[in-house]
Amino acid sequence: MNMMSATDCLLQMCDEQFDLEDYQSGVPRWCTGCGDNAILTAVQRLCRDEGLRPEKTVFVSGIGCSSRFPHYMKTYGFHGIHGRALPVAEGVKMSRPDLNVFVNTGDGDCCSIGAAHWIHALRYNMNITVFLHDNQIYGLTKKQASPTSPIGTKSNTTPRGSYLEALNPLTVTLGVQNVSFVAQVVDWVPEVLFDVVKAAFHHRGLSFVRIVQRCPEWLPKSLDPWLHDPQRLLFLNHEKGLQASEGLSRLYKNQIIHDPSDLSRARDIASSIDPIPVGILYRNPEVPCYEDLRNSGMLRTTAMAKSGLNAEFDKFTVWPEAEQAQAA
Amino acid sequence: MEDAQQAHVAFFLTGRRPADQLDAVDGLNLRPALFARYRTLTELRYDFPLVLADGGSGEPFAESLSGLVDAALSGLSGSETERARKHVLRLEQEIRKLVAGGAGGTLTTLWDKAADALGRGTDKALEDSLKRARKGIKLDGELTDCDEAMPARLIRHGWSSVQQHKAAAFGKNIAKLNLKLAEILRSDFESSAAGRSAKNLRESVGSAHDDTFDFAAMSRMLSTSLPKNAFPESRRRRISQLLDVLGSQRFFPLPDASGNGKGAKAYEFFFDSCAAALVALRERMPRVVELARAIAIAELEIDGQYNEARHDALFEQFGANGMDPQDLAPFPDYLICMNTAKLQAAEHAQLMEILSSGLPIKVLLQTDDILKESAIGEGNLTSGMRSRQIANMAMGLNEVYVLQSSASNLARFRDRILRGLAYRGPALFSVFSGASGKASGLSAYLTSAAAMESRAFPAFAYDPSAGPNWASRFYLDANPQVDLDWPVQAFDYEDEDHQSVSQDLAFTLVDFLACDRRYSKHLARVPRAKWNGSMIAVDESLTGEKRGLPEKVPCLLMVDADNSLQKVIVDDRLIREARRCREMWHSLQELGGVHNSHAETLLAREKKAWEERMHQEVESHPQASAVAAPAPAPAAAAPAASAAAVPPATAAPASAKAPAPAPVEAEPEKSPDDAYIETPRCSTCNECTQLNDKMFAYNENKQAYIANVEAGTYAQLVEAAESCQVSIIHPGKPRNPKEPGLEALLKRAELFQ
Repeated sequence: MNMMSATDCLLQMCDEQFDLEDYQSGVPRWCTGCGDNAILTAVQRLCRDEGLRPEKTVFVSGIGCSSRFPHYMKTYGFHGIHGRALPVAEGVKMSRPDLNVFVNTGDGDCCSIGAAHWIHALRYNMNITVFLHDNQIYGLTKKQASPTSPIGTKSNTTPRGSYLEALNPLTVTLGVQNVSFVAQVVDWVPEVLFDVVKAAFHHRGLSFVRIVQRCPEWLPKSLDPWLHDPQRLLFLNHEKGLQASEGLSRLYKNQIIHDPSDLSRARDIASSIDPIPVGILYRNPEVPCYEDLRNSGMLRTTAMAKSGLNAEFDKFTVWPEAEQAQAA
Repeated sequence: MEDAQQAHVAFFLTGRRPADQLDAVDGLNLRPALFARYRTLTELRYDFPLVLADGGSGEPFAESLSGLVDAALSGLSGSETERARKHVLRLEQEIRKLVAGGAGGTLTTLWDKAADALGRGTDKALEDSLKRARKGIKLDGELTDCDEAMPARLIRHGWSSVQQHKAAAFGKNIAKLNLKLAEILRSDFESSAAGRSAKNLRESVGSAHDDTFDFAAMSRMLSTSLPKNAFPESRRRRISQLLDVLGSQRFFPLPDASGNGKGAKAYEFFFDSCAAALVALRERMPRVVELARAIAIAELEIDGQYNEARHDALFEQFGANGMDPQDLAPFPDYLICMNTAKLQAAEHAQLMEILSSGLPIKVLLQTDDILKESAIGEGNLTSGMRSRQIANMAMGLNEVYVLQSSASNLARFRDRILRGLAYRGPALFSVFSGASGKASGLSAYLTSAAAMESRAFPAFAYDPSAGPNWASRFYLDANPQVDLDWPVQAFDYEDEDHQSVSQDLAFTLVDFLACDRRYSKHLARVPRAKWNGSMIAVDESLTGEKRGLPEKVPCLLMVDADNSLQKVIVDDRLIREARRCREMWHSLQELGGVHNSHAETLLAREKKAWEERMHQEVESHPQASAVAAPAPAPAAAAPAASAAAVPPATAAPASAKAPAPAPVEAEPEKSPDDAYIETPRCSTCNECTQLNDKMFAYNENKQAYIANVEAGTYAQLVEAAESCQVSIIHPGKPRNPKEPGLEALLKRAELFQ
């Protein structure tokens, strides 16, 4: 049933139409072959297809290769400080819930220095779409091991190979209270990358998408086994999640049915490193968003702002004794 | 035929009662036997009185007193719970008596009054019990009993509750629009020369810094950086006009002016006639269009989307073609409460005009008497025909929410009433109040309940928003034993030998008619001495079409004032009415999917076809059948032997297999000699485009394809294939046979063909 009013329909006809170019800003400085390009294209397609107005869209990032993302989007952007993309994005959303807020963060930015913000952002479940560009290495600073670098990764900081098992961002995310959307995708299957980006955008709550991404410069071969063997990707199909197309299914035959509302199974699947699970692991639209819980519905009038400020100033005001006595 | 039997048959056929054989029922104070237990309603726990809740988000708009008491009792724990339960139930009974005696007021008032009457002041245990239970009563409001005034009171209360929610949302939206529009104008002013004048700057900062700050210098500085793209005058004018329209609206009282919006009184939306409502509606429609237009424009302005070139023409024509229900949803609904007794021809026509308008107008059509004799004269009863006809016509309009119910059932229909009141179109609530029973000594509750029980005034709801078909829209299940012609209840009594006897009694239309003194001439009591086997129950007499002289006469079981059992025979006229009533009930059953003739025909046909198939299979495998009887087909394969109701659509069985992949357009086969890229798999890594951006280009989704294979060399094609991160470039065969190093290139290309 069409729930739009006649007025809304007519107004929609007057809506501005956007092209991909309307969201493109400058030539990306990423290395040729970098997986960030694929993510940028998928996100620009999303903006175009959803008709997101550039002035109503914000990309927030921290520090790292991936965090140059806002520079290449012709929307509002905030290239923040290391690990702090999420709190900035939360502030934006809290203040302007009408904006479409996206976060681009890397494995170092999110899973290392920003790990505390990551955990709490999940718990707050604000309506933000988060892309974790996980290339398993610090690329911008020329190859240092990140929390998600596979054990044995040789880098400038681990010349004899890294000693620790890689952190699994999916299992961490799925262990946090109030988690509401978790998906994983690889940058070299653009069709699914776009579908997941789209599903994440449409989810109301914090959508966390880990994108397993190649770094052709510093780890050029590390993902080759998965890139060249379609059987080493595990596609998650479900009527409530994504369904691989016929064309995709011809190449990627390793598929299972997974109900994204099943948290326990999502955790099991998330633990798999090989094959790499691709699709929506978990989705729960019932988890409340923090901005909704805290929305008092009151209008921010000048008088309200004034009284709020005065109340704050009063906390630090030293009243003359005479006035104090009079007030008493 | 014996004399007594002859007299019974004669009465049945003619309605003439031989005084020596049969007694008149006038003055005997008889009532149907099933009513024996309902002498004093105040001693019983049932849905009335109702508490019309004062309101509050999440609270029901009405709740039965017994429901509230049950909820409070279920919350009691600890010692003396049983004692408290008894005390609270006594209090409930006392409140019921007070309300039945005409006392009005809120639950709190009547609770205190009843508690005092029970001696709360002197009985500490009682006081303690009531205090504990009172904490569990979560809402308060006026109490209403099931009387003539109740339907209008309840519907109006529900309507007010819906309007309050609408008013809150509307007021909030208007306040937001006003604030945001004013902010736009304010921001325009701040950027203007006047806004940046020394005077305005000084006023903005305050006088504390007069001596230390040069506002004139600041004004000069700011004036040199005034924005070039000044605020268009047309936009300023438009926003000012919007603020005027929003500020002068009269549809809802503004929150801070209790009934008055900037001096203008808010419109009234409650009416007692269709004519008055129609006049008001027509007068106000231009204002509705104006305000809806202003809201739509204001939202665009605030969002920065209003574009004069695109939107001016659109809004010039706004509302010219009427307003659709979605656009009208924020505005108040009209409520008309009227009685069928006053429904004259003109009013009837206007009612139908309203119901077919598609506008959000809610109508309560109350009927106090459904047993009035037809104006045509002898032989016909109205049996609520007028209201039934209007309800049926309204359902025929498809877009009207229709609810028909006896007053006694309205408490159970609270949610459906609310749904009708919130429905974005017209709604008709047809209610039988039961007030006519008063003349026969019955309460409105009992009369209206009997009307529903006897199918004289069945309860149903038709909700056009519930789904696309009758199965989802029509609701009949509120009626008792919906798959039967007449509901059957167990009746226990003590016989002459003081033995307990139990019997199932059907409650038919004739039982309902027998409650009304106007029909006493169609009834005759059979003296106990003349009881014989020729008397049969009314429902039994209705089961088949009898021709010729009847051998058995329909008879009712009734009780007198002492609850002594009496047998009363009825004449044929009432039986004819009962038959007509049953046919009408059958029509409703069909609409509700009960004994649906289409479904039953289809089922019979399928069953027959299935049996024939099975028969053929058995015949085609004689050996198998000779050895063993054919295995019974799985239950799901055979049509059900009988179906009382149309089976609901069932979900497809869960499949363990992976769902079928979404189809994609078939790609044309590529020749291995041609160079191509598997474009949908391109990950936009820029490798190929950086190599040769004439040969390789991006499509509208920024995925690579070969734009011009002639724009580069075969060597570049091979190099691009080698550097492609996802190996989706296929170089094909070289086009220039003279290109140097072809042999080596072809070898390198083999990997990617």
